Amino acid sequence: MEEAKSNSGQNLGIAALITGIITFVMAVIPCVGMIAIIPGIITIVLAAVGLSQAQRSDSPRGVIMAGLIIGIVATLISFSQYFVVGKFARNFESDKWPEKIENIVNDVQENVVRDLEDANVSIKVEDGDDTVEINVGTNKSDKEKTLEELEGADTTSNVSITVTK
Amino acid sequence: MQIQPVMSASLSQNRTTISTKAGLTEPYLIFNISLAGVIMLIMIYSGIFSPDKNDYPVVCIHEKITGEPCVSCGLSHSFSLILRGRIDEAYQWNQNGMRIFIFFAAQFLMRILFSGAYLNHPDSRKQLIYYDITGSSLLFLTAFMPFLIYIFKFS
Repeated sequence: MEEAKSNSGQNLGIAALITGIITFVMAVIPCVGMIAIIPGIITIVLAAVGLSQAQRSDSPRGVIMAGLIIGIVATLISFSQYFVVGKFARNFESDKWPEKIENIVNDVQENVVRDLEDANVSIKVEDGDDTVEINVGTNKSDKEKTLEELEGADTTSNVSITVTK
Repeated sequence: MQIQPVMSASLSQNRTTISTKAGLTEPYLIFNISLAGVIMLIMIYSGIFSPDKNDYPVVCIHEKITGEPCVSCGLSHSFSLILRGRIDEAYQWNQNGMRIFIFFAAQFLMRILFSGAYLNHPDSRKQLIYYDITGSSLLFLTAFMPFLIYIFKFS
């Protein structure tokens, strides 16, 4: 009976120590550091319950205290990860975001202009036996070719080109 | 005269059972077995999930929030590739993957060796625990130094 009393709280202490070490390792890995706050709190609770049991029965508290300290440190490191993410996001936001957004807008603009330049529109209207088809090509290369042809044509004749918008 | 050897045999058997039971209930041994189990689970996780299929269930929360990869991104890929012997690719996924993997592998071996030493040398148990704490702390600091620097840099 006496032996059982002296060991009370020890199992909780071991559980707290193991959970605390796992939490500690998790807390220093930035990818999962923020989640480590949950096992950190569990560690503190386990150690606190174990400590109260050990105090009541006057049993050794070394393992429980180790678990409690590691749990608290791990929870603090895990909590600091929130500040890390916050600060990182703020730095990232202030330094790179405007530049990146500007680049993306420029890229989109260039793509749209390029697509419109090379666009070919074809409209086909069918009414019974009658079919009307209109093809409009806005190819820049075609336009340049036509312009070259016009420029190379006989300039002695009076040719007037009227462009209507 | 014939009963005596039987009695002594049964007594020695009882003593062996008691000492084994006491050994397994030692906090240090429970702690070692549990940590070795956790490390085994990490290795199994790295072995089961394939780096080619990219089907890892753990995602980086840091990257999800900030949109930028952190210092520990690609660690799962790196572990899986190390287990498959593709060290060059592992380095490409995460530069610190190898040192973290060595830390876990060393810890796994240390848990087994220290448990054996703890059972075989009952007189120097306290000393063994001190050696274990010191060695593990140094190993931890060496392996996780880039992560710690990263945390202190931004916090």
